[in-house]
Amino acid sequence: MHTRFVALAGTFALTLGAPAFAHHGWGGQQTEKTEIAGTLKTDVNLSGPHATMQITDDKGQVWDVTLAPPPRTQNAGLKPGVIPVGAKVKIVGNRNSDLKKFEIKTVRVTYDGKNFDVYPDRT
Amino acid sequence: MEALLVWLQGSLLGEFMRSSGVWAYGVVNLVHILSVATLFGSVLVLDLRLLGAWRRVPLAALEQPTIPLAVAGFCCAAITGLCLLTTNATEYRGNPFVTIKFAAIALGLLNAALVASLPAWRARHAEPLEPNHRRALVVAGGTSLACWITAAAAGRLIGYW
Repeated sequence: MHTRFVALAGTFALTLGAPAFAHHGWGGQQTEKTEIAGTLKTDVNLSGPHATMQITDDKGQVWDVTLAPPPRTQNAGLKPGVIPVGAKVKIVGNRNSDLKKFEIKTVRVTYDGKNFDVYPDRT
Repeated sequence: MEALLVWLQGSLLGEFMRSSGVWAYGVVNLVHILSVATLFGSVLVLDLRLLGAWRRVPLAALEQPTIPLAVAGFCCAAITGLCLLTTNATEYRGNPFVTIKFAAIALGLLNAALVASLPAWRARHAEPLEPNHRRALVVAGGTSLACWITAAAAGRLIGYW
């Protein structure tokens, strides 16, 4: 009896823990990198689970740019006011697998010749 | 629904969360997870006992730590959860896991309230337990466990939608 319930409890724990591993594989994003050149539309926002910003690409498409978690993004030197709204930027990241969504998990932002590597291990 | 999300995001709490520094979300998220762990762990022990595990441990002995811990865990999880929700409330628009999670929480609370008024619950310390009371407690424990597993699983999956 004892063993059976320990096994049952262990299964619950594993079931609940499983998605946590998936998080770091960036499920839901394309595996190959996409590079987008454009201008900053909405300044960096350092609240929430991930920092965010928006850019407008050369064709006028607005992209939701998902950066690293706020502390990590700030440590990479990227925070509000660093890039002026309207300035030319280039980003590299993994685009959402759903091509109807213009969202990209970004590893590097380039502005004025400077690279902000929010995920240096993924570039 | 849309109006509620916009209102939550624009609330003072949402404004406070967004202006509290880069670690605010992470720290509140940590407390939320610890609270959920406290709630779920307590509920798991009590519900498995109702389902028939550890019959030699008196229910009264298990109730004493698990029920207050579950209530405390729920309250802390509700408060921190509201903080997390208001930070970027409108991003949850159309997320089915949010609906599933809140429905499961509502059912879990409703179940707890109903069970507390059952004759079987009032007679739960009887030795031996009447068979129909035992069956009622099995249903109560099973329903509770299903609700809280669903709530925790849907909550975890919100970020993957």
